[in-house]
Amino acid sequence: MSDQAILRIEAVEKRFGAVRAVDGVSLEVGSREFFALLGPSGSGKTTLLRIVSGLEAPDRGRVEIGGTDVTRLPPYLRRIGMVFQDFLLFPHRTVAENITFPLKMQGRTVAERREQLDWILGFVRMEGLENRFPHQLSGGQKQRVALARGLVSRPELLLLDEPLANLDRELRKEMEIEVRRYQEELGIPFVYVTHNQEEALTMSDRMAVMHQGALEQIGPKLEVYNAPATRFVASFVGAPNKLTGRAIEGDGARSRIDWDGITLIARSIGNARPGDAVEIYLKSERIALSASADGIHHDNRIEGTVRDIIFKGQFADYIVRTGNEAELVVSGPPSIAGVDRGSRVSLGWPVEAADVFATEDGEP
Amino acid sequence: MAAVNPGARFVIGGQTAMLLALYLFLYFPIFYIGYLSIMENNVWPFPPVFTGEWYDRLMIMSDFHVGLLNSVLIGVGTASLSTLFATAAAIGILRYPIRRRGVIVVLFLAPLFVAQILIGISTLMFNRNVLGIPGNIESAIVANTAYSVSFAFLVILAQLVRYDWRFDEVAQVFGARPFRTFREVTFPNIWPAVLGAFIISFILGFNNFEITFYNVAAIPTLPTIAWGTLRHGIEPELYALATIVNALVFLLLFIIYLLIRVGALRLGVPEE
Repeated sequence: MSDQAILRIEAVEKRFGAVRAVDGVSLEVGSREFFALLGPSGSGKTTLLRIVSGLEAPDRGRVEIGGTDVTRLPPYLRRIGMVFQDFLLFPHRTVAENITFPLKMQGRTVAERREQLDWILGFVRMEGLENRFPHQLSGGQKQRVALARGLVSRPELLLLDEPLANLDRELRKEMEIEVRRYQEELGIPFVYVTHNQEEALTMSDRMAVMHQGALEQIGPKLEVYNAPATRFVASFVGAPNKLTGRAIEGDGARSRIDWDGITLIARSIGNARPGDAVEIYLKSERIALSASADGIHHDNRIEGTVRDIIFKGQFADYIVRTGNEAELVVSGPPSIAGVDRGSRVSLGWPVEAADVFATEDGEP
Repeated sequence: MAAVNPGARFVIGGQTAMLLALYLFLYFPIFYIGYLSIMENNVWPFPPVFTGEWYDRLMIMSDFHVGLLNSVLIGVGTASLSTLFATAAAIGILRYPIRRRGVIVVLFLAPLFVAQILIGISTLMFNRNVLGIPGNIESAIVANTAYSVSFAFLVILAQLVRYDWRFDEVAQVFGARPFRTFREVTFPNIWPAVLGAFIISFILGFNNFEITFYNVAAIPTLPTIAWGTLRHGIEPELYALATIVNALVFLLLFIIYLLIRVGALRLGVPEE
C-alpha cells in the first residue's frame, strides 16, 4: 500500500463454540484500493467482513476505520456501505427509497436525498426505475440498486459480500467490469469477499487468501497468482494440475523430484530430505505442448498422448495422458498443427513454472 | 380434464358432501340462533314470522350497552397487551441465539392447555389474597392476557419464521439504530402478523366468560349478561345478543381472510 490505510485489522479472532472462524487475522486496506478477500466457503472471510461491519464482535483484536478504533462500535455508528449477498433490498420500499435509506438515516434533507439519488441513478445507469419495487426488477437491476444503496452516501469504505454469486455467468462478467468502474471512479476502497478466484483476479488490486480462519497469503493479485506462498494458495488459485511425488534431492539450488517414475526438475524445496513427499502445482497455461519433441526447449520434457481436447472458445484444454498413467491438463490455442485426439505429443515447462511444496507424510 | 371417470366423480361428490356436513355441524347452531333472533315464535319458528322485537328489547336493556362497552374495553386491553408481549417474545426467540429456546416456547404456550376456569379462579385468589387487588376491568384484562398471549404468540411466531432478519442487519449497517430499524424495516414487513394477533386476542378477550367472570366482580360484560339472563330461563333477547356478538366476530374473521387474500398474511402456505 502506498497511501495511508483506511481499514486496519489487527490480530482479530472470533470463535463460534469450538470453531475458530477467524484466527488472528491482520491486514490493511489503502484509501483507493480494491481489495479482494478470497477463500472457500467456511474459510472465515464472511465472518471477517461482518466483524468489519460491526454485525459481529471479535473476541480479540482491533478494527480501525479511517484511523478511528471502531472495534466496539455498533454497525450504525461506523458509516460504511455494504452490498449483501442475495441483494437484500427492502421489499416494502421502492428503488428510490431503498437507495436513499442510508441518507435518510443520516438525517439528510429530502432535497439532498433527491440530488444524491439522481446522481447515483445516473452513475449505476438505473434512471427511470426509481419507482419500481424490488420484486419488479431483474437480477442485474437488483444488483445495481444494492450497489447504489451501498455507495450513495459515499462511505469511507464499501464492503461487498459475494455480491455477484447469484447472477448468471453472462451478467457476472458484465457486473465485474461495472463494479470495477464504480471503484475506480469513486475512489472509495472496496473490500470484496468472494469464493470465486476469477472475480478476485479480474477486479482486485490486492488480494488475501483465507483458509480455515487464517490468512494464507496477502499481496498484489499477480503475485498471489504467480508465486503462491502456501500449498493451499497454490491449489486454490488458478485451477492447477496437482502432481504428487517424492524428493530425490531437495535442498540444492534446484530440486529433483520423482513423479511416479518420471524425474522432474523444480525449484528448491528448502529443507526437504530425499524421500520426503512433495506436491507440485502446475498451472495448465504454463505447460508448453508440441507435436514434436523439437518444439520443447524446457528443463522438464515429457511425452504423452492426447486423450481429449476440450474446446473453450478462445483457447482449448488438452487432456494429455503421460507415460506414468497420469493426466495433465494443458491450455493452449484452439488448434495446434499436428495435434489431434490420440496424437503423440511432447510437453514441457521451465523450472520456475511449477510451485513445489513439501508435505508431511500421510497428509493428503 | 376432459373425461373424469365416474368413480372419481363419485369420490369427489362424497368428499364435497362430507365437507358440507362438517360445515353444517360447525355453523348450524350459530345460524339457528341468528334465525331464532328474528322469529316471533322462537319455540317452534315454522312457518317463519319475522320480528325485530328481541333486538328492540335488548337495546332497552340497561345492562346491554354497559356490557358491550365493557366487553370492548376488555377485548382492546387484552389484545393490546397480548400483542405487545407476543411480538416482543416472538422477535426475541427468533432473532437471538437463545439456549433452551424450546422450553421458552412451551412456557409461552402452556396457558393454552390450562382450563380457562382455573386461570380465572387462580387469578382471582392470587389477586385478592396476595396482591389485595379487587375484581375490576383492569384485573379482567390482565387475567385474560395471561391466556390470550399464547394465541397471539402462536400467530406471530408462525408468520415471523418467514421474516429474513438480515433486513434488520442491512438497516443497521446503513445507520439505523435498533428502534429505528424496527420502525422502518421490521414492522412494515411484519404488521399483518401483528394485526392478525391483535384481532384474534381481541376476539378471545371480548368473548371470554370463564376468566372474565371471576375477575370482573359485578361489572357486566356481554358474556356475563348472557350468563345472568340464562338463570331466569332463556329469554329471546339472548338470541339477539348472541347474534350481534357472532356478527362482530365474523366481521373480524373476514378482515383476517382479506389479509390472507391480499397475501399480507400467510398462514402455513409456503411462498412460491
